[in-house]
Amino acid sequence: MAFWIELLISGVVAGLIIGLSALSITLVFGIARFPNAATGDTMTVGAYGALLGHRATNSLLVGGLTGAAAGALVGFLGYWFIFRKLAQRSNVALLVASIGLAFVLRAILGVSFGHSQQVFQLPLVRPWRIGGVPVHPNDLVLAAACAMILAIVFAILHLTPVGRRMRAVADDPALARVSGISPSGVMTVLWLLAGAVSASAGIVAGIKTVVSPEMGWDLLLPAFAAAIVGGIGSPVGAVAAGLLIGVVQELATPFVGFTYKIALSFLMMLVVLLVRPRGLFGKLEGAR
Amino acid sequence: MTIDRRTILQAGASALALGLAPQGALAQAEAFRIGALNPVTGAGSPYGSGMAAMILAAVEEVNAAGGAGGRQLQVFADDTQTNPQSAVLAAKKLIEVNKVNAILGTWSSGVSLAVIPLVNDANILLMHTSGAPALSVPPANAKGYGYRFQATNDRFGRAFAEIAVKEGYKRPATMAFNNASGIGNTQGFKKAWEAKGNQVVAEVVYEPNQPSYRAELQRVMAARPDVIVMGSFLPDTTIILREAFQTGANVKWIIPGWAANPQLVSALGNEPTEGIISVDSVSNEQAASFARYDEAYRRKMSQPGASNVYAAMTYDMVIALALAIEAAGPGAGTAQINAKIREVSNPGGEKVFTFADGKAALKAGRKINYEGASSVLDFDEFGDVTPDFGVFFITKGKLDRRYVVKI
Repeated sequence: MAFWIELLISGVVAGLIIGLSALSITLVFGIARFPNAATGDTMTVGAYGALLGHRATNSLLVGGLTGAAAGALVGFLGYWFIFRKLAQRSNVALLVASIGLAFVLRAILGVSFGHSQQVFQLPLVRPWRIGGVPVHPNDLVLAAACAMILAIVFAILHLTPVGRRMRAVADDPALARVSGISPSGVMTVLWLLAGAVSASAGIVAGIKTVVSPEMGWDLLLPAFAAAIVGGIGSPVGAVAAGLLIGVVQELATPFVGFTYKIALSFLMMLVVLLVRPRGLFGKLEGAR
Repeated sequence: MTIDRRTILQAGASALALGLAPQGALAQAEAFRIGALNPVTGAGSPYGSGMAAMILAAVEEVNAAGGAGGRQLQVFADDTQTNPQSAVLAAKKLIEVNKVNAILGTWSSGVSLAVIPLVNDANILLMHTSGAPALSVPPANAKGYGYRFQATNDRFGRAFAEIAVKEGYKRPATMAFNNASGIGNTQGFKKAWEAKGNQVVAEVVYEPNQPSYRAELQRVMAARPDVIVMGSFLPDTTIILREAFQTGANVKWIIPGWAANPQLVSALGNEPTEGIISVDSVSNEQAASFARYDEAYRRKMSQPGASNVYAAMTYDMVIALALAIEAAGPGAGTAQINAKIREVSNPGGEKVFTFADGKAALKAGRKINYEGASSVLDFDEFGDVTPDFGVFFITKGKLDRRYVVKI
């Protein structure tokens, strides 16, 4: 039984990383209406930003804030110089532009920091044993941080005027415009938020593993799968699907083995698209 | 002057004409072009720059001695990024644009496996330092143009088995990165270990780029091993060892030298790395060729030559290739040069330790046996060598070589 609980915990933490990056993808898709392939590399930017902040002040909190700020900045600059200019084009053009942005970010990070791995120099601690199950304090801290970030994002979306405007643009951009909502304010907040959220996912991943220029790109596909499974455009769905995918992957390893567990996220995406295409929490959208 | 359409058209046309102009007159036999394809960035970056620098140093040495087979050597360098996709692009550029006659110094097995079909199609030689056993045999090495200057992962596995016996371990488990190299290591270990009548208690193959390896570690630790034998690389080894330490696992580790190196110690600190057995092939340190290589390495990289076993291998690649070109004579093609490589490196003949001595002996009509800086370079029928293995124990953050294993 302890064996399964350990796997569950491991799955939850992995799921939080996937869920946060899926949240970023779904926010951008809901409001800007295109899949943002630069999400992965914004994660990497956040991880490196946090690394620099942590090295300078030896405080993980400051590092986290620095990383989130770096991600927000990158998100905003991407919008201001690239996606804003392409706003009238088809979303394929925006997708391809985001792929190009991803390459540029990865190359800049590679040149600035080198390609060898970097790690967060955190003190290594032994786990607490709760009822025979080893629970790692770092995992608890990371889970709490993720929960707080999610709370902040949902608070912004549902409790602030700008969040209400964002949800209005996500629901129906034409009607929102007619109602007098100016798109640039909404978009600015959106990209700052999406950048900060994906940066946080990158920071958590960087703390748990190692930081290298390719790390975000490698974690991108499960994030897309989670965004689709949860329902594109639904923030709750993205996080829930991320957790679901993370947990299912880990719990299934005794049955499918470690090599095939990563196929599970895509298998789930396949099943969801066949059975309930709008995803778990998505809305049915009419197309005319 | 104003930049208008006409100006741009004229500028473009003249640039094109300059690019297509013949590259100077050829006053002598065409240079032998070497493609130096090394892991300057990526997982192999600790070794790649040194490998490239030693190819250049050896080429300078050969050209200073008058070239090989009446030809000077010319180097075109590129970076594999320790990534098969990038390496294929770089190899294509070297083969199709620079028209190289041999590619030297690919490091990772994934990269060499991806590049060798291109090299076979172009009928040129590939000399590499990769471990995957598949590089020895058809289909990868169907033409016999691949030469391996490092031990196969299979040989590494055999060395691991010898070490496990010597250190008295009874319950080994294996963890392998899911690629040809990682699995080659652990399969080689398993074969050698079971041939001694023993059992491997758990085997796990894990995927790259996962957010956590806890489930994999859980599976291995459930079998209660006393030592874990890894076929792994630096990033995943860092993550696995950190997680193993943080779960309080009490187990010993045997890890290949490219993963258990000073970067691992700086990532994890002294406590989690204490007592790790790091195994790598060792250079031919008593030979005069090693002294020459060491001097060149210190000059170019300001580090001792023993710090980069792969750079000794790439140095030897150039010297052995140059001696083979010299033995094959002027105007020789790949097949003729290929036929001479074993002739100049394998036993039977006068031992030589430098290119100049070898060239002089060949001119005098004597058979030579080049003893290299990386190993004695006796190629078997697959083009593989059998170096010795250094067994390093990580003690207080330093790699301390305790003994050498011969297989």
